[in-house]
Amino acid sequence: MVKPLQGPNWVLLSLILLGVVAWLWLPVISLAPNRIVPGTPYTAFAVSEGGLFLALTSMLTMLMLGVAWLAWRATRKETWLALGTVVVLLALLPLWLAAAAAELAEPDLPQARITLGAAFWLLWFVLLLALIELRTRLGLSRPMGWLLLLPMMACWGLALWLWLEPLALLREYQARSEQFADALIIHLALVGAAVAASLILAIVGVLAMRRCSGLQRPGFAVLNFLQTIPSLALFGLLLAPLAWLGSQVAWLGALGVSGIGWAPAFLALLGYSLLPMVRNLHVALGAVDPAVIEAARGMGMSRRQVLLQARLPLALPVVVEGLRITTIQAIGLTAVAALIGAGGLGTFIFQGLGQAAMDMVLLGALPIIVLALVTDALFGTLSEWLRPGGEL
Amino acid sequence: MIELFGVSKHFANETAVDGISLQIKRGELCVLVGTSGCGKSTTLRMINRLIEHDAGEIHLDGQPVRSFNEVALRRRIGYVIQSTGLFPHWTVARNIGLVPRLLKWPKAQISERVEALMQLLGLPLAEFADKYPHQLSGGQAQRVGVARALAADPDILLMDEPFAALDPLTRQGLQREMIELHARLNKTIVFVTHDMDEALTLADRLVVMDQGRIVQQGTPVELLREPATPFVESLLGGLDRGLKEAALIQVKERMLPFGPRLLASERIAETAPLSQALSVMLWHQVERLTVVDAEDIPVGELSLRRLLGVTAA
Repeated sequence: MVKPLQGPNWVLLSLILLGVVAWLWLPVISLAPNRIVPGTPYTAFAVSEGGLFLALTSMLTMLMLGVAWLAWRATRKETWLALGTVVVLLALLPLWLAAAAAELAEPDLPQARITLGAAFWLLWFVLLLALIELRTRLGLSRPMGWLLLLPMMACWGLALWLWLEPLALLREYQARSEQFADALIIHLALVGAAVAASLILAIVGVLAMRRCSGLQRPGFAVLNFLQTIPSLALFGLLLAPLAWLGSQVAWLGALGVSGIGWAPAFLALLGYSLLPMVRNLHVALGAVDPAVIEAARGMGMSRRQVLLQARLPLALPVVVEGLRITTIQAIGLTAVAALIGAGGLGTFIFQGLGQAAMDMVLLGALPIIVLALVTDALFGTLSEWLRPGGEL
Repeated sequence: MIELFGVSKHFANETAVDGISLQIKRGELCVLVGTSGCGKSTTLRMINRLIEHDAGEIHLDGQPVRSFNEVALRRRIGYVIQSTGLFPHWTVARNIGLVPRLLKWPKAQISERVEALMQLLGLPLAEFADKYPHQLSGGQAQRVGVARALAADPDILLMDEPFAALDPLTRQGLQREMIELHARLNKTIVFVTHDMDEALTLADRLVVMDQGRIVQQGTPVELLREPATPFVESLLGGLDRGLKEAALIQVKERMLPFGPRLLASERIAETAPLSQALSVMLWHQVERLTVVDAEDIPVGELSLRRLLGVTAA
């Protein structure tokens, strides 16, 4: 439902003022001469005295204050204007960063790196929240919201590609670009395999449970128990039996099954994925209106037809919802699997932690967050679209 | 023809239906009526084998229902339930075409049939074909439910309290349409309800059930005149029975065709029930009504004495 557009938009107003405060008084970036030495923090206006740069920084500040003013007025027209301004701000942020990097660059310090400060993260976060708030207030659809992010992504792409070489995150990436690609592929493969396998097992399991209700209690008991084991402990528990299997069964060993590596990671992920998957599938199939099933049978649909034409399509939105939760959970858990040598993006996180190199941690953590957000958006849209009579 | 011979059904320790025998003739509209839990729905659902009977035999045109494949059997029998059970993810047109699709009719024939049924039930194609069930009112949804049940032109229609969830006006409208539809299509209809007025309005034959048994069966007038037990009598409305019977008789059955007399001050349609004529007399405090036909042309006269059926000269 579209909220009536009247009176000040307090949410937007407090968000943007928080952003302005951070922008003016908290460090936006910091500069370090190399990877080891801690950097010097800068607030936005302290970066440089250069006229052009100051103009750019002032413009950003004015735009933010402009959004605050529009939030105070908050009629329909002002809300649209505010949305446009927020989109522009999000797009300008990486360009400002590029300009700041150029201002701070010193020819005698080619190894200097720029780290994003608290204000930068906070401002970015606040602007994204503002975008979501404005999108809901104006009643725009989800895909429309994603379109609004395009200018921002384009500018980030441009800035990273052309000007942001000194950004510490990019330096870390460039030093390990091949490793990064491998890690990303392994991460996605582990998640994909675990979710796919758990979906298949869940379908078989739930159909069995529905046929024979005696299986329900023990089935859920086992799954609930699995879920309570901490992930690291589960990896540990799998270590011995898998190592033994790998050494005893030749072809399993040849496949790479051992106490560490992909095998225990896959099994643990599968175990954790099963509960949400089974529970959603079970609830989804059970929650279909009994009158529809009664009518379907009364009309002369066979058991199979009732399942495939009535039960499953009606349950699908909830199943997709389960798929969404499971996948997001698996994306996060796979990061921990790096500890037992399974690879994936978690590798960078733990290496970075070991070396106290926060930028390397970010190199692992940021893509994981992006993956989770993209998964959330994709499955969320899909499930909305699958609802009866649903449209994008 | 549907025949039940000593049919029983037990659930756990409870007897839902207790050895009932019943014959429903081809083209008859038979109403099973009784309080909730009397076994009327169970009886209905045993006919299309949604529930299997434990004892006795159910025959369809002389053959036991057990001898048919249950899925094939149900496709030959229309089924309408109270909560409609329309598929929420299908459009109205697709819902109606369900059974013909199951029977693998050619596409063109299905859409032709769906179109004809929507017309029959007063659902304009352009307006409703592409709507989803959640966009329909209760009455419209139940029309779609009836259309779906009629789709494959079954000989038999089973209806389980189809109008119970509707508001009184919509319900009466659909009841009238039901009577017309039955007169036109000549289907055998088994109709379950707990609403005695609905039962009296619709039934060719009434079957009153209580605690899994048939207490009495007959035409509405037979039951009103001679209720077999106090239970049937109270179900029929006790002292209100007179009005209920009057609701079943049309004015033209009692009126005096026109002689040379003055027109009365108030008029009544010849197809109106006697109960309505009585109500008009009470309201206007008159003893004489002029009876008019559909074109509002006077055709006779109804006096209070004739209304009461007093035959003295």
